[in-house]
This record gives sequence, structure tokens and C-alpha cells, in this order.
Amino acid sequence: MRIAGKALGSLAMGLCAWGLALHGKTVQAGELGAWRINGFLENDTRVRQDVGLSKERNTLRLEADREFDDLGAFTGNSLTLKLRGTYDGVYDLNSKEYGRDAGGPICLEDTSGLIPAGCVAHGRGAFGGNNLQYGVFNGVPGAGLGQFGFNLANNPNDGMIVLGEPLHRPGGGVAFGVPVRPCDVDSRGCLGGYMDGSENDLRFPEFADADRLDWLREAYFDSSLLFSSPLNGEEQELFFRVGKQQVIWGRTDLFRVLDVINPVDYSRNNIYDELQDIRIPMWIATAEYRMGPVAALQDLNWQVVWNFDKFRPNSLGQCGTANVILDAGCFFRGMKNLWDNGGTVSNFALVPPILGQPGMAMTTDFGPNQVGIREVKLPNWTLSNTQIGTKFEGVLGDVSFSLNGLLYRSQLPSLHGGSEGPPAISPFANLLLPVDLQLPELLPGVGQYNTVPRQVPYLIAFDIAFPRVKMLGGSLDFTIAPIKTVARIEAAMTWGEQFPNTLRPSLYSESRVARYVVGLDRLTFIPFLNADRTFLFSLQIFGQHLLDHELEQGRLGQVGMPDWKDNWTATLFMQTWYLQDRLQPKLVMARDWKAGAYAVQPSVDYLLSQNLKLSIGANVKFGDGAQKFNDCRDCNPYPPFTAYASSGGPLLEAGPIGLTGFEPLGRFRQGPLGSSDKEDEVFITLGYQFF
Amino acid sequence: MKRITRSVLAVLAGTLFTAPALAQSADDVINQTFYPYKAGAPTAAGVNVGVVIDKNNADQFKVVLDPVTYDLLKKGVQPSIKVGPTDSFDVHPKYVEATRQNIGKVKIVGGNLEGYSAGRPFPELPSSSDADAGRKLAFNFRHTFSAGDNVQIKPFYWKYRNAATGKVDRTVEFQFNFLNFKHRVAEQPIPAVSPNPNDYFRGIYGKAFSPQDVQDTQLMILGFDQDQKASDGYLYLGFQRRVRRLETSQTTDAFLGSDLMIQDFEGYFGRVAEMNWKFKGTKTLLMPLYRHNEQKLSDEYKQPDGYKFVAMTGKGECFPDVTWQLRQVHELEMTPVDKSSPVGRRVMYIDSQTFVAPRTLIYDRAGKLWKSWTIGHTSTEHHLPSNKGKFAAIYDSFGMFDVQNQRCTTGQFRTEIDGSKSPVRMFNPQFMRSGGA
Repeated sequence: MRIAGKALGSLAMGLCAWGLALHGKTVQAGELGAWRINGFLENDTRVRQDVGLSKERNTLRLEADREFDDLGAFTGNSLTLKLRGTYDGVYDLNSKEYGRDAGGPICLEDTSGLIPAGCVAHGRGAFGGNNLQYGVFNGVPGAGLGQFGFNLANNPNDGMIVLGEPLHRPGGGVAFGVPVRPCDVDSRGCLGGYMDGSENDLRFPEFADADRLDWLREAYFDSSLLFSSPLNGEEQELFFRVGKQQVIWGRTDLFRVLDVINPVDYSRNNIYDELQDIRIPMWIATAEYRMGPVAALQDLNWQVVWNFDKFRPNSLGQCGTANVILDAGCFFRGMKNLWDNGGTVSNFALVPPILGQPGMAMTTDFGPNQVGIREVKLPNWTLSNTQIGTKFEGVLGDVSFSLNGLLYRSQLPSLHGGSEGPPAISPFANLLLPVDLQLPELLPGVGQYNTVPRQVPYLIAFDIAFPRVKMLGGSLDFTIAPIKTVARIEAAMTWGEQFPNTLRPSLYSESRVARYVVGLDRLTFIPFLNADRTFLFSLQIFGQHLLDHELEQGRLGQVGMPDWKDNWTATLFMQTWYLQDRLQPKLVMARDWKAGAYAVQPSVDYLLSQNLKLSIGANVKFGDGAQKFNDCRDCNPYPPFTAYASSGGPLLEAGPIGLTGFEPLGRFRQGPLGSSDKEDEVFITLGYQFF
Repeated sequence: MKRITRSVLAVLAGTLFTAPALAQSADDVINQTFYPYKAGAPTAAGVNVGVVIDKNNADQFKVVLDPVTYDLLKKGVQPSIKVGPTDSFDVHPKYVEATRQNIGKVKIVGGNLEGYSAGRPFPELPSSSDADAGRKLAFNFRHTFSAGDNVQIKPFYWKYRNAATGKVDRTVEFQFNFLNFKHRVAEQPIPAVSPNPNDYFRGIYGKAFSPQDVQDTQLMILGFDQDQKASDGYLYLGFQRRVRRLETSQTTDAFLGSDLMIQDFEGYFGRVAEMNWKFKGTKTLLMPLYRHNEQKLSDEYKQPDGYKFVAMTGKGECFPDVTWQLRQVHELEMTPVDKSSPVGRRVMYIDSQTFVAPRTLIYDRAGKLWKSWTIGHTSTEHHLPSNKGKFAAIYDSFGMFDVQNQRCTTGQFRTEIDGSKSPVRMFNPQFMRSGGA
């Protein structure tokens, strides 16, 4: 009822605002002195299947620019400012799904056969001492076994979801509780400086980080220095742009092969907003030597880009919000909570074969600092941590081309675990064992299992890092005249990217990556559908090849890198225009080949007036959905206690044998489309230019 | 023997091509093409300065009206035309001189001009007996001096109107720039921009400033000197911030939702090779050529320098409210080579003195009238002070009336011939990438 009241109030205010807009005068860009100013309002409302309201985003944008007189030899001087503020009302209007009332108590799947209900409440797992149904595997009642178990007062069973919801049930694999409320309401699992948004931060994302000034979306100064070429006397130009800006490389839409200078905010609308709205502007200086025609080249330019801003990763979306790409934010938050507070993990510890069937696993209570994510290591600002790139771009005959090189930090996180992860406490620490077991972790002559935190090969304890990456690439476009089609090609090779890899003791490895996109654009008349205007057909095929891919067949399944060695994603965009371009139907279709995942987004834009635009559409995903991969429960970091010997795994040797589950690595096979398979939604967007 | 035969044939062929030029002195040719009103302005019965032609008296003036203008007047769609004085739109003397130097030297070989340096390629009066007369006129039109060597139109307001209701559906603010890479005569660099490895002849650059859905859209088309070669085209979409290559053979799409196709720009914006051309005769007709400063001008869009735009009139305010004057025009019929074109044919009236195209009638594939295209031209001598002495018939107003759909798009120009405002560096994709003009 409270929600309904808020919703009605908001709706009424919205209608009033749009009513004014509908009856307002036609406006053009404003002039204020020498400034040219535009102002925009946008409301984006989305409703998601089984969830209800998923977005009630209201955005105010102000854009201003002005030109200045020549400053000595510098000409074409101008200053551009772009300001943006957003309020997403979903945290007030649907706080049960996204906000302070989200989540609740959870029950975690248990396939041990020891729990009749088939699931146990968070905090009631095996070895934790709080569930007598586990019998001897409960440990000492109230105390548990060794370092297993955790304090429920620090990590209560509330405000959580089960990792992977709603895409899949655990399905016999691992899962754990993930806190979903904003970090000022529930600080569990929040990663400082990375995914730690308060309720207000989520409501007003541009004002979340006072240091970053995200509301000042862009602020840059342009200037040109014209001079005569020392070679041929022709006029040439040095063009400078300095300030907070987006630097866009490449020729393809949606896919970021070369367009990697600015990080991207996927939390705004996953991959579906225009990149210019979700690139995160950075403080960058660019200098461009515009040589004009050189020898056989009609045009040649050399650009140097220096991103001197403090490093910033992609925003992947905080768990508990509507857009969490790959569900990574939930995995991270759940893992961080596991590390800080301990927690209950589904289907983890094997039931000894003598008591059950092979593969039956008990949902297990881990203590703090044993498994999970310890911290995110965001690079500090140092000169060596700034990023630099260069580009040659030109026109040769009928072909436009670019050659690009960039030294940068990966904007995607890399999980460094196991032998390179944080020193972890063994859950078996303090257990007194016979000294003649000859186990490596037994303290000599004492029989007490090691209590000293240490880096444990193959242990699922991680720090998040952002590795340095080198990229070389290029792009070109040209016309294929006989079929009246424009071709766009973009390709890049990177060195230094890191990927999960269960074959490695550190649970990750580097791979060189080749990425490429081939795009074809064609304007085609379909007279019986539209006599005046063509249809734009834009087909793109994106490919990714991991040159150092590692994948082996283990006893139970594949082990190694969950990312596909080769994969392709195809998109087809279709659009036409009616009523003097006031009505624009569009259709976007995408397929992730290996994931077997599809997305279809039909939409219609309608210009209600010169200044008011309405967009209505739907976003539907379907396909194979969740995928499984080796989850490293079988990695046996603490032999022999964690050995999967009953399934043929080695008793004393660490390393996986191919046990699979949806979590945590299936997401890399699902990709962004498959991971959002249950996020079908409809949307209505109103955009109004008021100045 | 074979070699001798070929030589003789070549001489004979050359003689045949140059025969018309030899038949007239160069002065005669120049006077006929550039100074047709030296001996006096054309006259027609009752067509006197100040006369207003409307549906009541249109029949009386049918002989000096193109058939569509006559029809629109009869129906009252275009309420009236006021007759203005016929001016000599003197073309820049350096263009005239370049033409003189070129007389008899230009040929069409393989669809391209051969022997052409600058000026009007075929200044001789067209002859109905010349099977290639239409194509020669097309090349003259291609190389007209209407926009000087370079020109800027800024601001440039387009209004998309519902002709039935008069409602303005959209107003788009543009800037357009034109640059001749080659065959330049009046402004440095002469005779060509150099280096020019791609051998471009002409570039057009446009940018939309408003409204929001087209804001920052930029268009650039670079035409090659060789007419047989398809132009390069680039499009920058503001919301993508990316330059995309355009396939330029598709010029019959409604441009940004207006009633214009790219093909309509400047009267006809396409390659000569894309049309079959037929010369239909030379006539004396009323055309929307006028003195800008003496027109009834609009108070809309006030400019800092006091410049005023041409006002619009008629049904839905679809027609430039300007005076028309009697002009000697060549009638050209054009049919698309590409049979899939939505255009069946175009009839273009080219002003014989300036080779601008003030009137074009566009028919659909069924042969029905589709659009009536009017481009108002003024002499630079009656326009901005800065244009004085530039001697060009510059674009000043337009009305594209879609007869079938009862819509129109009107254009109001502020045209300025100033090389510094259309620099060469503007005409490459990198300029667009950094945001453009």
C-alpha cells in the first residue's frame, strides 16, 4: 500500500510534467550570450517479468558550448560542458526488489540426502554446529568442527537471495547467500570503492562518488594550431582536446574491439543503451596531427591519447540492482561476504561414500577468511598507472582505415586466487590429527593442523585485480558497390588479459586475445512496406579467439578456462522511418553462438512534437540459459579432507577433476545474453528537450 | 595503312566535335551563354514588372509558366506569383574567362570530361539535333558557378510542413558548406586544392544542430572529378559519435525525414552517369530568381547582423514568397539509369545564363507528378554586403512540395561566399569525428 501510494504520487507528478511538455512551445537550442545551451529531460520506465518495476529513471541533461576568439596562433577554440543527473525511483517504488526491503531469508539446496527438506537455512550448514540433521557432520553443537561455522549475528539470514537467482536453481552445484540491499542498509559483501553504493548512490548515481564528479559528464576544451607543413608548405593542423571526455575508436556498434579507452557503465541498462550514454568519461588529453593529404593518402591523422585520470573499471552493476551484467556483482558480493563473515555454501562437502552415493554433497558452513573475495585492488593514481594510446587514421583511395595501439588497464576484473590469492585460514585449522599422517600442513611433532593463514593453491579465495593490457589493432571501411553495401571491419589483438582457469593453482591465467568485427550496412527499399524511405539493415558479426586457451577433459568434465576458445556473436539491426521520420520502428536481434542465447528488442520511437519523443519497446531473451562449468569444489586445496577420491580424484594432490555446476564459472559460457535470460522487460521512454 | 586511316578518322572526329565552336567566334559563344540579355531582357505579352499572376489570370500567362506552376496557381495552392525585373545575373569574370579559354577543347569520353580545365564545359547553345545535348547541359550544370568556388550556408532552416493544415511538424537547423577541389577560378587556391590524391572535384558538408533526434548529425559527400566514379560519403550520428561510410548510390531516401532526397540537393545532386538526359528545348519562362534585398523578408530568426530570411507563402506556407522573373531556360528531361529508383523522371529547368536549376518537376515511377521543387536564387549583388562582387547566383530559399502526400519542406538560407568559412580541412572525416562545425 505504501508502495502504491508512492507510485501514484510519482505517476501524477510525471503526468503533470509531460502534460506541460506536450502543450509547451516548440523550443530550439538556447542562446545565453555566446553560449549555446540545450536541456533535456528523460523518463525511462521498465517493467520486468516476475519482478515488476525494474527502472523508473529520470535524467536531466544540460549541454552547453561556446566558441572563443583566437588565442594567438590557436584557433577554433571552444569549451563544451555536458552535465547529467539521474534519479532512479525504482529504489523507492519497488524497494522489495531493489532497495532497502529487498531479499529475505534463504534456504540453500543440499543434495547430501541427510536433509529431508532438501535445503538448509543460511547458517545451518554442515560442520557449523547448528544443524543436528547432519549428525556427525554437524561438528560440535554450537561450535562446529575446526574453523568451520560462522557467527550468524554478523551474517544473519535476511536481506539475501541465493546466488544465481532467478536464472537458475543451484542444480547440485555451489550457491550461497548474497546480500542485496544497498550498502548503507546492509554493508555485507560491499567492495569498497568498487561496488559499495548506498541507497542514495543508487538513486542518484552521478552523485555517488564526490571525487569523480560524474554529474559533470563531459568538460573539455578544443583548440587548433594551424601551420604550414615543413615538407610541402600546405596548411596542416594540430588539434587538441583536453578535459573530461569520451574518446571513441573503431567503426563498429555495440562491440568494443577498439573502443576501449573509456570504461563503460553497464549498470545503467546492461548492453542496451547507446554507448555514448554509458561510456564513463575520463580526464584525457588528446593531440591530433592532421596532416591532410600525404602522398597517395587523401587524409592522414596521427592522434596521441593520454588518459591521465585515476583508473576506473567498468561498472558491472551492484547486486540488488536491475542491471548486473553477467551477474558478476552478485557473485562478488556473495564472495566478499563469505570472506568477511563466513557463510553457507550449497552442496560443497562430499558425503563419504560409505554413507551416501558418490556426488552427494553437504551444504557447508565456512568461517571468515577461508573462502571468498578479500579485496579489490584498484590501481592508485601514479604516472605509470595512466594510460596512453596512439592512432593513425586516414583515407587511402576508397578505403578509410585506422591503426591503433593502446597501453591500458583491463576494465574488467580478474580474480587472483589460490596460490596468488589472499592468505586464507584453513577450515581444518586446529584439528588435532595423528602425526603419522604425514600431511604437509600438520605442524611437526604436534599433530595440529596448520593455523597460520597462507596462500593455498587452487583455493577459491581471491583478490580482484585489474591487469595491464597492451592492444594493437586496426579498422577499415569501404563500399562494395555491386551490392550497394558498406563493409566495416575492426580487429585487435591484446596481450595481458586474464581469464579464470581452474587448471592453474592461481585459478587464472593470461591469454592473448584476438577480437574482430565484420559489419555490413545496406539501405534497401521495400516499397510495399515503405514507399518513401529505405530500411537500414546492419549486420555485425563479432568474433573472439583466445590464443592461449587451456581446456582439458577431466574425469568428471572439462577443466580449465570457461571462456570459449572461439565464439561469435551476431547482431542484426533493422530500422525504417515513417511520417517524415517522426515514426521509427526498430528491431535489434542478437545471438551468442556458443551460448545459444538470443535477444530480440523491437521498439518504436515516435516524435510527439519537435521536442518530445516517445519510445516503446520490449527486450526479450531466450535460448539455452544457464550453463555449467567446472566449479573447483573438486580442486582439493586441503588434501585429503577436500579430495573427491570417491569420484576418482587424487587423495593428496590438488587440482580439479571436472566437477561442474552453474556457479561460479558458468556465467562465462552464458555471456551477457544468456546471463540475463530471465530479464525480459517492456519499456516506455519519454524524452523532452526543454531548452 | 591502318595507322593512317585512324589518324584521318581522328582528325575528322575532332573536326566534327569542334565544328560548332568554329562556326561561331569565341566572343559570340561567350556573349550568348553569359550575357543573353545584353540586347535586352526577354519579353512576353503582359508579363510586366509588378504583374501578379494567380488562378484568375494564370491562363493568360500559361506560355511563360512551367506546367506544374501553372497547375498549382490554377488550383490556388500557390496563391500568386509577382513578376520582378529580369536581371542579368553576371557570372564571375574569371569563370567567363576560363570558359573562353576552354572553348572547343572539351569532349565527353567514356562518360567523363576530357580536356576540361575550368569554366563552362560546353558554352555553345544546345541544339536539338545534337543527340548528346542533354548530357552536355548536365555537365554544364555540374560545373556551374552557383556556389562560387566555396560557399557556406549558415544558418539554414528547414521546416517540415503539413501542406493541408499548415502545421509545422519539425524545424531543423543546419549548416552546409561546399567546396570545389578542382576547376577553381575565383578564390585561392586556383586552379585546384593540392594535393588531392583521390582527385575529388567537389565536397559538401552539412551538420544539423537541432532538434534533439538529429542533433550533431553530420553528412559529407565528396564527388570525384571523374563522373563515372561513385562519390565517397560519410555520416556522423550524434548519438553514436562515430563516422560511418555511406553508400552513395542510394540518394533517393527522404533526407532526415524531409521531403528532399539527397538527389534533390542543388536541383540535382547526383552523377551525370546516373541519369539519361534529354534536351527538350530552350524556352522563356518565369523563374524564382530575384533580388534578395528587395523581397518581403521574414522577421523570424533574427541575426546579429540584421540579415533577414525569405518569407514563405501559399498553402501551408510551402512556397518562397519571392518575385519571379522571365528567364531563358533549357528544359532537360532526366530518367534514372537505375530502374529501381522511386523516381520515374525529372524535368529540370536550367537557367541558361547561370546554369542554376530553379525549377524541377519530379515524377514517380507510374509517371504521376510527385514533387514540385523550387529553389530561389538571388544574385550576390543584392544580398549580404560580404557577397558583393562575388558574381554568383546563390541559393536563397526553397520549397519542396510533395503533391501526392500534401506535405512540403521549406528552406531559408543565409548564404555566404567566403573561402575561410569552408576551409579544405573541413572536408575530411576527421573533422567530423571531432564534432565538426
